[in-house]
Amino acid sequence: MSIQAQNNPMVSALFLPIIILVLFVLRQNLIVILGISTAYAYWAFGDGVISNIVVDAWDAANKDILLSIPLFILAGNIMSRGGMASRLIDLMTSLTAPIPGGLAIATIMSCAAFAAVSGSGTVTLLAIGTLMYPALIKAGYPKNFALGALCAAGTLGIVVPPSIPLILYGIMTQTSIGDLFIAGIGPAILLTSLMLTYAVAQNFSHRESSWNLSYISKSLRKGIWALLMPLIILGGIYSGYFTATESAAVAVVYAFIVESMIHKEMNLDDLRDVIRETTKLLGSLFPVLMIALSLNVFLTYEEVPQNLVAWMSDKIDNPVTALLSINLFLILIGCLIDIGSAILILAPMLMPIATSHGIDPTHFGIIMVMNLEIGYLTPPLGLNLIVAMGVFKEKFWTICKATIPFLIIMLMGLMTVSFVPEIALFMVD
Amino acid sequence: MKLTLRYLDIFERNVTFLAFVALVIVMFSDVAFREITGTGLHWSRQVGVYANLFVVMFGLGVASSEAAHLRPKFADNWLPESFEPILNRIQEGLMFLFCFVFSVIAFQVVTETFRDDVQSIVLRIAVWPFQMIIPAAFFLTSIRHLIYTINPNFRPGEGVDSGTE
Repeated sequence: MSIQAQNNPMVSALFLPIIILVLFVLRQNLIVILGISTAYAYWAFGDGVISNIVVDAWDAANKDILLSIPLFILAGNIMSRGGMASRLIDLMTSLTAPIPGGLAIATIMSCAAFAAVSGSGTVTLLAIGTLMYPALIKAGYPKNFALGALCAAGTLGIVVPPSIPLILYGIMTQTSIGDLFIAGIGPAILLTSLMLTYAVAQNFSHRESSWNLSYISKSLRKGIWALLMPLIILGGIYSGYFTATESAAVAVVYAFIVESMIHKEMNLDDLRDVIRETTKLLGSLFPVLMIALSLNVFLTYEEVPQNLVAWMSDKIDNPVTALLSINLFLILIGCLIDIGSAILILAPMLMPIATSHGIDPTHFGIIMVMNLEIGYLTPPLGLNLIVAMGVFKEKFWTICKATIPFLIIMLMGLMTVSFVPEIALFMVD
Repeated sequence: MKLTLRYLDIFERNVTFLAFVALVIVMFSDVAFREITGTGLHWSRQVGVYANLFVVMFGLGVASSEAAHLRPKFADNWLPESFEPILNRIQEGLMFLFCFVFSVIAFQVVTETFRDDVQSIVLRIAVWPFQMIIPAAFFLTSIRHLIYTINPNFRPGEGVDSGTE
């Protein structure tokens, strides 16, 4: 097989998907699947020197742009360690109490604010969900609405800057991370607004109480420090004062000072735990990222993206059809694999196709992340569905049905952002 | 085997903690110095990159110790449940083989870097000790997975949130 495969590109190309499929069935980690596939590609289609994977992986790791990932994840983990969820919920509840569907609005806004600080959709669902789900049910909100709102609003962390998937996209496609963060603001506001509108429409009869100025001011004092973090990050990047990496370093120190000195909810032992938790995530992500970047170098050298663009251009010459096809493809991918893996593997190949149809690379990054965000709410592997099943002790299909209205809202948001690029790009230079 | 896993755990946890603290201090100092003196620390980013390398490469073992690796799960139910024990061993065995082979290939690359006396342009020191982190981390992780292959009882349980959420 070996000599035949190396000599015949068609035979080699046939073996690759078979190898990948077998590795999937054997429940292999992504690093093994990607590593073996990359080695096979170097051996069968390249010069056969497999050690080039290590050289390319080293070159990939030896870049300071990557430093923003560990720092942003650490900052988010420090901030979400203590009682930030309850502080944000208090603040949002105090502000929205007299508005129809006030508690539902508070839930969605708390999720958006928490996601902006923690950068994690699942942590947002866990932190806000455990507090807000019983409160919503107790206040008489329909169970389906409560489940759907928490699962869907929990995913806002993926588009709200600083979003790790956006950083990964930036690294894989050499798109400015600062621009991607700025471009994420509009779509995040749009999605939040759509969810809020639905929440008000569904729960118009629910009014909790009137505004209480002393409660608002008390909860503002408690919650303001957490809310300032995304403002510092985005303000610093947008004003050109910080690069993405510098703002990440500032965010870590800010988060530690707030949690240890102002909120007094973190000591050195807690910091140790948070760093271990962050390291665990980085250890699962970075080696895969290094190998993915190595594969990216190989694909670029072999002109695979260019050939893919040429092939796609033959099949689809209409930008609208191209955009719809890419959206559909990404939604399907989002149903099957996690967002990080999908970006690492597909972003370098899809971005040239998108740009060949006149789509801005920054805009495409937002479209890609929004598509894959929907994957958090789709069976069979929607991460938020699985987490919600455990946290709220509900059946999988009950949660799936509850998220349907929010899925439709998110699809509407996605289509709007896809065909109105200004929503993402209005602040990007 | 239990003792080996414990020592591996202690080593990886302490190295990654110290490297992470160094990374934060160096990167924040760069910003602080720029604000105070008008110029940043020109070496800070390269030191940060090397500190990050310690974090993420030895983090590979930390991820293994908590079964936190990214893993596509859509094909998990394609084989009957009775295959579970053998699949667990195959999963760990292949991970061991992959990490071991990668560490050997990476070691060869490091020896070439050593022979060519490649220097860091910014820090003007040899690059190979930092490059050596890659084979070392993969080798230590391969030991961990070899132990899991031999005795699957040492395998940690898999969480649902392994991913870049």
